[in-house]
Amino acid sequence: MAVATDYARRRAPSIGRAVDRYYGALVSTGSVVAFLVVWQVAAARGWVNARYTSSPSQVLAAALDIARHDDFPHHAWVSFSEFSLGFAAALGIGLPLGLALGTSRRLRLFVDPPMMALYTAPRLTLLPILIIWLGIGAASKVAVVLLGAVFPIIVNTMAGVRETDPRLFQAARAFGASRLDTMIKVLVPGALPAILLGIRLAIGRGVLSVVVGEMFVSEAGIGHQIMNYGEAMQVGHLMVYAFAISLFGYALTIAVRLIEDRVRSWRPEP
Amino acid sequence: MSQIEIADVAIEYCRPNSDDTFAAIRGVNLAVDKGSFVTVVGSSGCGKSTLLLAIAGLIPRSRGSIRIDGRDVQGPGCDRAMVFQDASLLPWRSVHGNVRFGLELQRWRRDDIDERARRFTELVGLAKFADYHPHQLSGGMRQRVNIARALAVDPDVLLMDEPFAALDAQTREVMGNELLHIWERDKKTALFVTHAIDEAIFLADRVVVMAKDPGRIKAIVDIELPRPRSTAMLDSAAFTGYRHRLRDYIAADIQSLQLVGDAA
Amino acid sequence: MTRVLERHQALISGCISFAVILLTWQLAVALGFVQVFFTSTPIRVAVAFWRELRSGEIAANVGVSLYELLCGLGLACIAGIGLGVLASWSRTIEHILEPFIWFTYACPIIAFYPLFIAWLGLGAPTIIAIAFLSALTPLYANTLSGIRNADRDLVRAARSFGARRRDLFLKIALPGSVPIIVAGLRLAAGRALTGVIAGELFGAAAGLGYSIAFYGQKLKTTEMMVSLVMVVILGVILTQLLSLCETATDSWRTGPGR
Repeated sequence: MAVATDYARRRAPSIGRAVDRYYGALVSTGSVVAFLVVWQVAAARGWVNARYTSSPSQVLAAALDIARHDDFPHHAWVSFSEFSLGFAAALGIGLPLGLALGTSRRLRLFVDPPMMALYTAPRLTLLPILIIWLGIGAASKVAVVLLGAVFPIIVNTMAGVRETDPRLFQAARAFGASRLDTMIKVLVPGALPAILLGIRLAIGRGVLSVVVGEMFVSEAGIGHQIMNYGEAMQVGHLMVYAFAISLFGYALTIAVRLIEDRVRSWRPEP
Repeated sequence: MSQIEIADVAIEYCRPNSDDTFAAIRGVNLAVDKGSFVTVVGSSGCGKSTLLLAIAGLIPRSRGSIRIDGRDVQGPGCDRAMVFQDASLLPWRSVHGNVRFGLELQRWRRDDIDERARRFTELVGLAKFADYHPHQLSGGMRQRVNIARALAVDPDVLLMDEPFAALDAQTREVMGNELLHIWERDKKTALFVTHAIDEAIFLADRVVVMAKDPGRIKAIVDIELPRPRSTAMLDSAAFTGYRHRLRDYIAADIQSLQLVGDAA
Repeated sequence: MTRVLERHQALISGCISFAVILLTWQLAVALGFVQVFFTSTPIRVAVAFWRELRSGEIAANVGVSLYELLCGLGLACIAGIGLGVLASWSRTIEHILEPFIWFTYACPIIAFYPLFIAWLGLGAPTIIAIAFLSALTPLYANTLSGIRNADRDLVRAARSFGARRRDLFLKIALPGSVPIIVAGLRLAAGRALTGVIAGELFGAAAGLGYSIAFYGQKLKTTEMMVSLVMVVILGVILTQLLSLCETATDSWRTGPGR
């Protein structure tokens, strides 16, 4: 019996409802603004050492400086291409492997233990040795991104396959579907939400990997610039780059989230 | 004066994103005497659960009044206890812990809480399972804990919203018998919502039939069967008579659920 | 005999996997497919491991990294769970905190490494700060989600007994959210470990990450592998411990029905 508690609502005046809907956004924006104001004032008044913390105005000035002098597009492109290559490779390896592991119990039995061991260890520990193997150029960064992104994809794809309602498989078999058909029409759509989650997690790891990789040793890229400015204590410039890469990762995550929501709306509630 | 007096109660909802209202129930009048067992039947959507929730004070009324012993119902209170279809047991507490739950919320004295919890766990026949957790119990057992929890707070009115609907037919029958057994002890005023006509007749002193669109009371049937009830009565002529009457009342509403319309 | 085999299937297959990997590794180098300089060999690594164990080097490094990890994780628990509880109580607080929490999540904390050095100096406090910030978000998010998503049926039942907001929070939302919080702890531990290692790579004076970078600069792959293996072992132990925690707190959910 439907419990009406959920949608019993007093009618609100229409203007009240608008504020209600955007209340969250308003408060969040307000809090960020308040933070920026406090930061600026604290830096200007000397309550904190502006050399170490910079200030919103300095960050803005740095942004302009970077736009004018720094060849930002070049660094952004380097980081972006390293990330994309590594991520694409991670998808290319991770998805099929995840599907295979999800379906084959025997494979899982043998591959799971070493894979889980690697998954729990931070892939960044491999950074120095990857540098030794692949040099200080782009190859090592692509490798770090690959290693960082591939595991969430494999693990979540595997989980997604295993979570697919077995009754759907039974129904497909009852209708005489071939194995390939089953895979395409039941398995992948069924596992899609989990796969998308894995991709979303992998993005975060991939972005972190490319930045840390470039910070450690590289010739160009956002992480490289971050390290340079950091060592020169040009905090404003450092923040601009850090902010840029965060924005990039965040935007990608939102995009995947949107796809996830779309896909989830197709699924019936379990 | 009846214990429960419901006068011209209506409960309406605004449809989301629009201005019209949808009446779950309208123009409901009902008087329930103290110590009587009243069941409420009707097809899906007739508002029987809504009415019960309003009496429990869990949803607000749009119009009308509900009084219990003369006091207006404004929200949940210690004079009423509700038994939901879902046992709603705290999974991390044992049976004993769950029966204590209502007593804790109503701030009974510490010594009384343990003593009463133990007593009512025993009353519903689960003394041996007092330390078991819900996931170790069957559906019927969980509902028994649910009932024990409600009885433990000594309510004036017991409200039950299809408590046996999720159980299989046999367990349902057993639970119905046991419920009456327990009820006979204190003869608390009870309101019991159900889909099953036989169950409604078997348990009740009076059966309230509700219809839908809008939700309203269609008829009230007094059940003149002797107590204590026994399953043998199910085959009696009187029982069959009641069954037919109630079926007819509900039939009109069932019509609108037809899957395939008549060919033109 | 087969019963025993079945039950420990995972353990046995795991051992076989590792044995195969080690064997392939050793053979690949011995037969010349891979230069020994790049990967060392299992035997050499084992020897170096034993040597470092006896000299106490491993203990020292593990000790430092573990200390930093636990401090960072502990602080993250207090702050993350505390803030999560506050945010669950008031939507306003949640909206105020949201941008900052998500910034901590989206931004690679390590990018601000030079800033931390300037504020906290070289060494443990900086690493702890990085670990703390890395681990914060999963704990906060899961605490908030666990409390907010308290079982509706339980809330309704409690309300019917006259439960007030405080009762709902203390008796239903909080206990019910423990499994999710522990799951968040597992995620947070992983991120904290990453933060510790990444931080140490950039110039601590001790710790597993530091030793990897140190030996890396000297191109001593064998010693690097030793520390690497230690990191993996540490990660595995950590995850297993937390998994045990998870099943322990979740035990009332296993079984049929609910």
